[in-house]
This record gives sequence, structure tokens and C-alpha cells, in this order.
Amino acid sequence: MLMLDAKRVLTDIVNNKFLHMVSVVTIALSVFIVSSFSLFFNNATDFLDAWRKGVRVITYMSDNVTEPQRTELMETIRNLGGVAGIEFISKDDAYNDLKEKIGQQSSLLDGLDKNPLPDSFEITLADSYRRLEDIEKLSQNIGGLPHVEDVEYAQKWLYRFNGVYNLFKVTGLVLVSIFFIATLLIIANTIRLIMYTRREEIEIIRIIGADEKFIKYPLFFEAVVHGFLGGVAGILMLYLAFILTVPNFAPATVFSLFEIRFISVKFSLTIVLCSMMIGWVGCFFSIRKFLKI
Amino acid sequence: MVNGQGKNTIIRMFNVSKRYGKMEALSNLSLEVRKNEFIFVTGPSGAGKSTMIKLLYMGETASSGSILVDGMNLARISRKQIPMLRRKFGVVFQDFKLISTKTVFQNVALVLEVAGLKPKEIYPLVMDVLECVGIEDRSEEFPPVLSGGEKQRVAIARAMVGTPKIVLADEPTGSLDPDSAAQIFQLLRSVHERGATVIIATHDQQMINNHDGRVVRLVKGRMDCEN
Repeated sequence: MLMLDAKRVLTDIVNNKFLHMVSVVTIALSVFIVSSFSLFFNNATDFLDAWRKGVRVITYMSDNVTEPQRTELMETIRNLGGVAGIEFISKDDAYNDLKEKIGQQSSLLDGLDKNPLPDSFEITLADSYRRLEDIEKLSQNIGGLPHVEDVEYAQKWLYRFNGVYNLFKVTGLVLVSIFFIATLLIIANTIRLIMYTRREEIEIIRIIGADEKFIKYPLFFEAVVHGFLGGVAGILMLYLAFILTVPNFAPATVFSLFEIRFISVKFSLTIVLCSMMIGWVGCFFSIRKFLKI
Repeated sequence: MVNGQGKNTIIRMFNVSKRYGKMEALSNLSLEVRKNEFIFVTGPSGAGKSTMIKLLYMGETASSGSILVDGMNLARISRKQIPMLRRKFGVVFQDFKLISTKTVFQNVALVLEVAGLKPKEIYPLVMDVLECVGIEDRSEEFPPVLSGGEKQRVAIARAMVGTPKIVLADEPTGSLDPDSAAQIFQLLRSVHERGATVIIATHDQQMINNHDGRVVRLVKGRMDCEN
């Protein structure tokens, strides 16, 4: 019976190529839009994560700190939650580093009586401790320790990144939901259109004694096949766009921080599966209204 | 008696009326049809001939009265039973009602697919019936390329293939030239000779005069005369 239904569906698809193509292309475009947003969202998240990983908390010490005091302070910081590593940078090292970085303009530093830079610690954070709130809390704890003059951690940038990240997250969810509903409605309407253009055929099939199952099953089958073909075509379109456009971005500095990646195979399969499911649901609603089940 | 029908009665209509809003298409129609009978239902346009045919295969439901078809009371059957009722009929329409995206073979085979037959059972039956109506050489053509007479042959093949007990034909020669009409009529005769009850709704008086069969005349939805 299933084989016969499959054969009927395939014959029907061949006999009504244009109508089915319209449906498959509609689904493919919807899948393309939703998955391209997911691609953008995934990579934007990777980008922000990569940027955050570069964040260091710099602790400047007051003058006249003795070595035992410094060692004790270092141990205290090391034992605070979220600290993955701590490195002491002496004022002389900092001075030499600065001199090297400014290169030809280092002669400007020659006019100084003494090294104005303080001793400092450069603190790297544990992976699980990169949320803005965690960094803020850690900085406050360090700031309250004796012999600590100031704590810096690129607050301004982190606030901005956090804002952008949250915006991505919220708009991402909202847009994916909107596209999901839009796709569902488009598919439901396309199937309704197919049924409308085939109402005479359905009427004839009914007159010759077909039951509801005989009419319904192939329509569901077709909708799921549309979902599958549209899903696969949408992903392939996205992949084509990806391999054609990404090499143009690669040399840009900002993209050297992380590797732009295509959506995972698992996610692609999920999209195709969702597309098939949407086909089924769209068909369900159309049929319900059309055949008055 | 089965559900109020005599042994030889296959259709019984009793005081059947059909209204569309205030318009009465059929009014208190009573008719009994015996097995393997050949009947013409005639009358002017708007007399209710097509409505009567539709009521029999439940293309429409009667507003009042009762209809019994081969032991089934149409007023009492459930929605799920309607397909079973329709499989008792082969129906031929004036406008052929063929599916234009299916080949001649597929159009005819559909009746047997609906009945649940397997493809290897379907093929010989369909080819047999296409041969019988003289259109086996066009089995892979699509309806739009066929002439009116050929389309009606396909429609008759579709009506015959499931060996139904009753064949209903609603103005089957209405859109055909006289030669094609005569051939179609002969085919319907051969369906009758195979044992089916045939009911033809037509206003072609010449055709009725030239052939044997009971004639039921309707005027404005009422039985005018029967002979």
C-alpha cells in the first residue's frame, strides 16, 4: 500500500511538475532565509566568544610593595574563583614592552626622570568565568585587596559586546520564530493552492469511490516530500552562497580571530527534519479546512 | 425484501425531494428500478435529471424522502460508507470528468486503485476494458489530446472497469456529434448486456425513440409519465 502511495505521489509530482516546483522553491527559499540567519548567528556567537577569550584583567599595584607582600597578593588572587592564570609584570618589563611597541617614537620616553609605570599582574580567566557579571565581581574582589591601586578589564568593550551579544540572541530568537511561522503559513497556503487547483481531480476521485485516506495520504506524503526537497535545496543554496562569499571575507582582520564555519551537519539535518515536519503540519491544516475532516 | 426493496429491485426512491434554497429541483419523486434494467430519464433542461443522478451516488443528499440502493438506505449511511456506495456505481458525465494530468490508462486504473487492487491485477483489467471501448492504442495519451468521442469512451471504460452493478450516465452524448453519440450509445448497451443496470439521463428524444428501454419523463422536478 505504501509503495502504491509512493508511486502515486511520484507520478503526481511528474504530472504536475510546475505546481510542485513552486511549493519546493517556496520552502527552499524559506529554509535558506532561516538557515542563513542561523549561520550568521552561530558565527557571530563564535566571534564574540573569541573576542571575550582575549580579555585580561590587569591589576596595578601601589608603589613600595615588598616582594613578600607581592607574593602573598599573587597567591591570594590565584586562589580567587575564576582565575585561570596570573603573571607578574614588573614596572621595568612594562616599560621595555611599551618602548618596543611604540617603536620609532620611543625617544619620547627618554625625557622622563623615572619609569612612571606600576608593577602589575595580568590575570587570565577560566573559560566558565567570562560573563560580564563574573568579571565585574572578580575585579571588585581584587580591587578590595591591600596594595592594589587599580583594576582594568576593558569594561567599555565588554559592555558593548555583551549588549551586541544579547541583541543577537533576542533578535535571533524573534526572527527565527517569525520565519518559522511565516514558512508554516506559506507551506499551508501553497498546499491549499495545490488542492484548490486539483479540486476537480479530488472531486472525480471521490465520485469513483475513494475514501478519505486515499485522498489524504498522498497529499501528506507530497507535503513531506516537498519539505524534504525544499529543506535540502535550501541548505544547498546556503552552502553555495557560503563557499562563494566566505573567501572574500577571509583576509579581513576581524575574521582572523576565529574561523568562519558552515552550520553543522547535525543542525542541517535538524533543519531538513523541521522542514518535513512543517510540510506535514501545513498539509494538516490545509486538508482540515479543504476536506473538512 | 432487503431494507424495503424487492429481490429484483436495485434502486428505490420514495417521495424524494431536493430543494436548493426556495427552488425545488425534485419534488416527491418515487421510482423503482429493477436489476439489469435499461432506463432513460428524460425531460427538458432544469427538469431535475442530473439532480436525480447525483442523489443516487450521493453527490447530493435528498432534502426529504428515502432512497435505497442495493440494500443501502442513503439517509442512514455514515460518511465512511459513502465510498462503498459509490463503488457500486460507474458514472459517465457529459463533460467526461477525466483527470487531464493522468494518462488514459491512469484515469481508468484509478477506479481499481481506489478499490485496493494491486498493479499487476490492474493492468490486464484496464487493457481489457480499453480494448472493449476501442481505445487501447491511446492508453498512454493524455485526455486533452483526445477527441470528444474518445474522451467519452475513456469515461465509459472508467465506468465499466470496476464491473459496477449500476452505470449512471448524465447526458453522455450531449457534447458529441451524431456518429460518436451513436457509438457511445452502443457501448452503454454493451455495458447493459454484461449485466449492469443502466440509467441514462438525456434530452435526446431521437436516441430514445430509436432504442428500447423504459422511459421516465421529468418535468419541473416531478414525474410526468413513465412507459
